Amino acid sequence: MTSVEPSEIRLSPGLLTIAAGLVAWQALSLFFPPVIFPGPWTLLQRMAAIYSDPASYAVVAQTLRRIFEGFAIAMVAGTAFGLLMGLKRDVELFFDTWIMVLLTVPAVCWAFLSVLWFGISDIAPILTIVLIVFPFVVINIWEGTKAMDKDLMEMGSVYRADRSLMFRKVIIPQLMPYIFSSLRIALSLSWKIALVAEAFGAGDGIGQKLINWFQDTRVDMMLAWGVSFMIVMVLVDVLAFRLWARRMFDWRPQLAT
Amino acid sequence: MMTGSIRAAGLRAGSVVVLLLLWWIAAKLVHDPEVLPDPAAIAVTIAGNFQSPGPTGHSAIFHISLTLGRIFAAFAASMLLGIAIGLVMGRSRLVERALLAVIPLMLTIPTILMVFLAVMWFGFSEAGGLVAVMAVVTPYVAVNIFEGAKAMDGSLIEMGVAFKAQNWLLIRKVYLPQLMPYIFSAFRYAFGMTWKIVALAETFGLKFGIGYMFFFWFEQFNMVQVMAWIVMFVVLMLVLEHGLFARLESRAFAWRGAIAH
Amino acid sequence: MALGARSIDRTHLRPQPTVRPGPTLSTAIAVHNLTKTFSKPGTETQFVVLDDISLSVEEGKFVTIVGPSGCGKSTLLNIIAGIERYDTGSVQLSPRRGSPTHQPRVGYVFQSPRLLNWLTTAGNIEFALEAQNVPGQQWKERVTRQLEMVGLGGQERNYPLRLSGGMQQRVAIARALAIEPDILLMDEPFSHLDAITARKMRFDLMEILAKARPTILFVTHDLAEAVFLSDRIYMMKTNPARIFKEVAIDLPRPRKPEDPALLDLEKNLVQEFFGVLEGTG
Repeated sequence: MTSVEPSEIRLSPGLLTIAAGLVAWQALSLFFPPVIFPGPWTLLQRMAAIYSDPASYAVVAQTLRRIFEGFAIAMVAGTAFGLLMGLKRDVELFFDTWIMVLLTVPAVCWAFLSVLWFGISDIAPILTIVLIVFPFVVINIWEGTKAMDKDLMEMGSVYRADRSLMFRKVIIPQLMPYIFSSLRIALSLSWKIALVAEAFGAGDGIGQKLINWFQDTRVDMMLAWGVSFMIVMVLVDVLAFRLWARRMFDWRPQLAT
Repeated sequence: MMTGSIRAAGLRAGSVVVLLLLWWIAAKLVHDPEVLPDPAAIAVTIAGNFQSPGPTGHSAIFHISLTLGRIFAAFAASMLLGIAIGLVMGRSRLVERALLAVIPLMLTIPTILMVFLAVMWFGFSEAGGLVAVMAVVTPYVAVNIFEGAKAMDGSLIEMGVAFKAQNWLLIRKVYLPQLMPYIFSAFRYAFGMTWKIVALAETFGLKFGIGYMFFFWFEQFNMVQVMAWIVMFVVLMLVLEHGLFARLESRAFAWRGAIAH
Repeated sequence: MALGARSIDRTHLRPQPTVRPGPTLSTAIAVHNLTKTFSKPGTETQFVVLDDISLSVEEGKFVTIVGPSGCGKSTLLNIIAGIERYDTGSVQLSPRRGSPTHQPRVGYVFQSPRLLNWLTTAGNIEFALEAQNVPGQQWKERVTRQLEMVGLGGQERNYPLRLSGGMQQRVAIARALAIEPDILLMDEPFSHLDAITARKMRFDLMEILAKARPTILFVTHDLAEAVFLSDRIYMMKTNPARIFKEVAIDLPRPRKPEDPALLDLEKNLVQEFFGVLEGTG
């Protein structure tokens, strides 16, 4: 084989796949009506139409608000509860069955129950998000407490550090990687569940748009809303977490991933 | 510690009892079966669902079997395809780099969107449900197995080759045991995902099954039935996940000795 | 989900040693007939960790317990530090200098540094100061002084993971001394260091302690180290842990490890020490 020029190396197989995929997609879409199988170009056009309409931003804002509210509640409650379960064996033994049950109920069930209880409102999506995400966070944090260094706890005890000091300087710093990964997972789950919950019981929001267009058999509009939202959430994940991670862990020599 | 495990079992049993108790008390306080039916009413309803044909002319057994059938079929298909893809990714750098660009994308697409697309493109049928599950679960399994393939201990494989082990023997005794932890963790997660997607797909458009019944009763605003079917579903899944898998796992990992938890 | 592991639970950390003046006004630590048994989880068997231990430490003195690694030496220190319970016997500690109603301040240096890696060197020392309710205005001065004393002047803002093992252990010592302890417990603090670093640390320890004179209870498996450092040593055997000899080391300070008198004493003790350990082994 001849030697490879530096400029050629940038065309990695990954990029090639994506490029090839886009081309194949566009080609394939020519065989179908755009409302059934839109090509990338059609999709872009639909997205432009959506976001040139100011009303759309209100829709997105609704969904984002519910996501962040549900996410925040689930994170705070989940972290606190996970800590409690990790530090107190009796609490752990008592509640682990409840957590298991919570993990097993699908989002759509909570969505139905919330609507039956609270009607079409904000509560259904937020409650659903909390009930699904909370157990995940609990388990994550609880795993973190199990991984804590008992020697350090002992050291703290010997010096008679009180609970508050132990939490601030010994427990929470050890849990930071777990809190961090919980945040990522929780956010990622939250926005997906928001869509399911809104589809059934919010009256507005992006999830509502998705199911409406689904019922109208308009794949193009459905994808336009769905894909654009996905892009937003991925950006949030990258910006918020990759950048933050770098700052958080600079006391570790060269270990930051 | 004998007392320790008795205590543990006691606390856990106690928590179930307390849950039922709290539920019963709450139901009495609310006093409205449309809002919060009490556990007894739900138990009765569940029993009734099994005994008589429901509104669709089929008893609960039919719906449950249907859902289970869909779950296992989709799960098996996704696992097999996922393992195959993962192994190929492990052996071919080209495939690895090509797919690693696409898979994260697929993993980000919300489930509900996948279900909608699958159902719209492949019909409100078994095919639609199957595709929906596979589109979500296969990439996850593939990535997991791929990690396992990468992590395989090359020295053990060399040892096998040095002893002139035949390919099939190599696969059975050297590859597979090392892959098993990855297969298993993919297994559990894949199963969890599968039944949630099947439930969702049934809610939207598949004919009959547990999800279908969720939606049916939801549209009728029949709280008791909605709860009854949720309870049936949750109990069934708990039994499968913790009964079945826990047992399989301990058999599969016997060789790890005391390390496995 | 592995639901069987123990969680970190502090409810077993009692009883505390009692605080009242010991048999003589100058006894800092008095242990009488201390016994502790331990039952293995999952079995009915109990084994005796500490068997009828009695010892005493005078104020300002350096007392060492020498014995094989493992066994009850760390447990004994933990009991005196108040973080492990015991079954029978008594542990009495002299109250805090200047506050007869308070527990003595206890500093502890473990085998491994046990530093909080996410805090700076100064932060680690401040942790102990905060834990001991030392007023904030005194922190900066104490931190600087202690780090100087252990030879780490200027390292306040460094993180532990950038320090060598020996340096980390010095920080641990600085932390223990910064609280101005009445009692300093040291559990084989140099056993994880290489011989050269350990030797230097011993010299430095003697220098540091010449200035501040807490009561020290030191634990080691190294008889030579014990003879070099201590005013008195207790020899301990294991399984179960029992004290079988008490020796006063009357050599003047500062000591040299090569001093013939010291080597002579060591030689005599070695015979006895290993004789008992291997005889009953």
